[in-house]
Amino acid sequence: MLVALALTACGGGGGAGDSTASVATTGTAVASIGTAATTPADAASADSADHADALASRSTSRIAGGVASSGTTQTDAARLLTQGTFGPTLADIQYVASLGAKVWVTEQLALPYTASRGIQAHVKAQAAAGVAPYQDVVLDGFWKQAVTTPDQLRARVAFALSQIFVVSFLGDLDDNTDLVSSYYDMLSANAFGDYRTLLEAVTRHPAMGKYLSHMRNLKEDTSTGRLPNENYAREMLQLFSIGIYQLNADGSNKLDANGATIPAFTSADVQGLARVFTGWSWAGADKTDQRFWNNPPTRDDIAYSTPMQGYPQYHSNAEKKFLGKTVAAQSTANPEASLKVALDAVAAHSNVGPFISKLLIQRLVTSNPTPGYVGRVAAVFNDNGAGKRGDLGAVVSAILLDSEARSTDVAATAGYGKLREPILRATAWMRAFGVTSLSGAYTVGITDSSSASLNQSPLRSPSVFNFFRPTYVVPGSSMAARGLVAPEMQINTTTSVAGYVNAMYYWVLYGAGKQGAAGKFDLQPDYTSQISMAGDPDKLLDHLNTLLFTGRLSATLRQQLKDVMNDIPLDGTAASIADKSRARVCLALLMSLTSPDFIIQK
Amino acid sequence: MHKPFSPSRRRLLAGLGSASALGLAATPFLKTLAATGTNSASDYKALVCVFLLGGNDAYNTVLATDSASWSAYTAARNVMPQSLALAPPGTPRVASADINTPAAYGGVLPIVPRTAVSGRSFALHPMLPSIRDMFASGRAAIVANVGTLVQPTTRDDYLAGRGALPPRLFSHNDQQSMWQSSAAESPQFGWGGAMADLFTDANASAAAFSAVSATGSSMWLAGRNVNMYQVNTNGPVIAGFPKEWLYGSRYGWDQLYAALRTTRADPLEQDQVALITRSMGSASQLSAVLPGTGSGGVLAAPLHTNPLTGAVGPNPLSQQLEIVARMIAARTDLGAKRQVFFVTLSGFDTHVTQNQGHTDLMAKLDGALAYFNSALASLPGGDASSLVTTFTASDFGRTLQSNGTGTDHGWGGHHFVMGGAVQGGDIYGQFPTIGLSTATDAGNGRLIPTTSVDQYGASLASWFGATGDQLDAIFPNLRNFGSARTLGLFRG
Repeated sequence: MLVALALTACGGGGGAGDSTASVATTGTAVASIGTAATTPADAASADSADHADALASRSTSRIAGGVASSGTTQTDAARLLTQGTFGPTLADIQYVASLGAKVWVTEQLALPYTASRGIQAHVKAQAAAGVAPYQDVVLDGFWKQAVTTPDQLRARVAFALSQIFVVSFLGDLDDNTDLVSSYYDMLSANAFGDYRTLLEAVTRHPAMGKYLSHMRNLKEDTSTGRLPNENYAREMLQLFSIGIYQLNADGSNKLDANGATIPAFTSADVQGLARVFTGWSWAGADKTDQRFWNNPPTRDDIAYSTPMQGYPQYHSNAEKKFLGKTVAAQSTANPEASLKVALDAVAAHSNVGPFISKLLIQRLVTSNPTPGYVGRVAAVFNDNGAGKRGDLGAVVSAILLDSEARSTDVAATAGYGKLREPILRATAWMRAFGVTSLSGAYTVGITDSSSASLNQSPLRSPSVFNFFRPTYVVPGSSMAARGLVAPEMQINTTTSVAGYVNAMYYWVLYGAGKQGAAGKFDLQPDYTSQISMAGDPDKLLDHLNTLLFTGRLSATLRQQLKDVMNDIPLDGTAASIADKSRARVCLALLMSLTSPDFIIQK
Repeated sequence: MHKPFSPSRRRLLAGLGSASALGLAATPFLKTLAATGTNSASDYKALVCVFLLGGNDAYNTVLATDSASWSAYTAARNVMPQSLALAPPGTPRVASADINTPAAYGGVLPIVPRTAVSGRSFALHPMLPSIRDMFASGRAAIVANVGTLVQPTTRDDYLAGRGALPPRLFSHNDQQSMWQSSAAESPQFGWGGAMADLFTDANASAAAFSAVSATGSSMWLAGRNVNMYQVNTNGPVIAGFPKEWLYGSRYGWDQLYAALRTTRADPLEQDQVALITRSMGSASQLSAVLPGTGSGGVLAAPLHTNPLTGAVGPNPLSQQLEIVARMIAARTDLGAKRQVFFVTLSGFDTHVTQNQGHTDLMAKLDGALAYFNSALASLPGGDASSLVTTFTASDFGRTLQSNGTGTDHGWGGHHFVMGGAVQGGDIYGQFPTIGLSTATDAGNGRLIPTTSVDQYGASLASWFGATGDQLDAIFPNLRNFGSARTLGLFRG
């Protein structure tokens, strides 16, 4: 029975004609600005050479920014798209190959932030449709954006930022969908902007105010001894800006005369800075005690997505000393003035460039960048070439275009790259196989389960320390023996690796997300073009090698995939052949998506 | 700030008997041990670490109730807008009180330690009645003011920056690492794993289950020989459906398994292959012998009722302890002689609205430990509670001084040790004077620990079966504490 079910459920047959959104290629995104777009269906079914021609002719009119196009290999294109998007599509691979990495990055950086592509737009649309405002709606908005948005690089960097400037539904966020979706959109809006601006937006967003509890933080009271809450001051320094040790320009630790590391900040710095983060609460038309203390009257109040405001009556007017800076005692407490001094000081700290650059490199490209790579990117952070510090768009460009990101020789060195975290494995599958949502709402929901799902959901980190630490070393591992970290391995457990196989078994076969009225899962892949190649395993594997493996499908796995496909003879009636062709594709996909060739990104 | 390797400090330590006291020589010691792992064991013992994630507020967990202590405690904690000062012993719960106020919890629960401390009296949080009872019956002990230390440290030392301090004090992840690894820099291995390493031969076929986490990755369990096994709270998860056809392929699962386990040259790929290979082998071995819950099996974890809201739901700590109890019940079938287990309860970083949150956490801790004690006492095959010692740990304690509705990151804290082998009913270590600017105050009531994690850990490891030299290897700073190596926590 299972077999029969499998053969009818395995994608491509029924189609998903009634879907309302589909995987957009980053190429068509740009095209939609000025030229005709190719639909995904066209892209999937077109002969690849014709398609490349079409993309090339379409794109020439777009190289208007003066960036020379030199083209690149399909492997390099697929690698770039693996690093800088939620996963390559065949159309994007052709597009990037025709234009080259630099043009694509430049085009993506030029795409403006578009609120209608944000998660809050999805939240609002769902609310208008009468869907209950549970956190699932925010998570679904994440998946919808990841799969469909044409400004993939911005979305991918926003996801990376969400793992540095962490808020989580597992903390005190009241399950408020506006609060969390507007926070995530704020990260998207600032993804290519200015670090100092981002730091202030993070600091003042009420989601962060609630998550790290500086909302309603009270000034000291010398009569009772009450002290300000130090939470945000400490974690902002440790995790969002300068880190725990003083750093050299290349991200390595500075050492003192005895060879010891040097703390980047002290408890006194934390206590001084904590005074800055007093007297902040909900934005609104006035600064009454009532507004300070009470939550907004409705769940969708604008205050949930508006930066917090200062309330002088609760803000410390005492002297505030931190990081060598002093805010003098204020005769009238002035939260905005205190904040400006504090964030200016933090953002100007020499640690920020190497600290943030290295974190972003780890999220996008490789877990163990060389000091040279970190140093080159940090230099761009410090000065984008036009005298500007903290230009995150320039930083992202420097990360992706660096020789250490692009060189296949470097990528072939032992231990290079990173483990794809489970969310990114899932988005890669969705985008590669044109997943569409039957409901249009991408109802993936919570994917926490380690036994039957991804062991990871966006915006549900266990703590502000993210799902995994950037310094995590797998004890006793091959990587550890080389002195290499593997952050994403922290959520790869003896339970979750089995749970992932089981999740993929169902996702590949039936689709993902919640079951709709007809019993079908909401997110449906389209394997039409793969099924058409099922009779020629070598052709199918060449195709998958480009689409899933950035051209590095190992000879061993290739043979294993061929064997498992060839064990199903394509014989019998036409209907039987069609079923068996689908089975071949699903077998190849399950074995691919669970393989180290795919799970390890090089 | 701290100077971990100042020359003067090294000379001083050399005078104490070891130049390796700062952990510099720890690696060779442990490597030697890892090569052996030959400690023998005819009996069974297990250690269960209950890690309270976020930094438990020890001041509201174990309290000193003598008048001097109480007035200092109240002064620092009864500040606007929300008093964090619990009510004194004997205060009845006020059912109508706001659940964010201590009046809603009732008075702290008095305990009388076997060894009296002159002028002091003690109590537990009102939501710890089961631990109070286990303390009274001698089944649970308290260890006072434990924390990360390199060497004995006074307030003067701390304020003057004299001597070696644990690095990155007050930082969550770093202090969790320090607690679990007892290593100063870039720790990778934990002392739970190091204990398990000693018994790899004894565990023989159960070696894969020497170090088990019911909660994901744990540094404490990371050994040089043993790999931690991360078990789901419902039991082992098998990859795939090996008895079925796979998508119409009769041998598809076999082919998939073979592919998953094919070794690789690249270290990152090989680490992934090694993990799933272990996962598949362990799941199949464990699922064959693991008993269930309920009639004839292991006592099932009860639901938790929030004592303030009445909300009923799972207690994540009890759920984790349930699978630990089930694995202990399978010890004979597995052939296990020594096991270390790691479980966690989250939510202790109570910077704000501490009252309600911490009170429910105390109730969860109390309910889970009581459940585990009962489950072990009624384990299929007989009472195993004397074979298992359960202890708490946490990132750090918290400040005595309130910030208005919560407390901030501290250092030392009080901990519980539970089990039939424990010489319970007593407070071990030195219970600190309560107040600000006391001899153990690092500022705002952050307790400078008077018992080190190494001493605490060595006491547990000693019961587990580690010998003297092995203790020094596992706890590289233990030698800095002179003859006070262990606390005498266990029955003789």
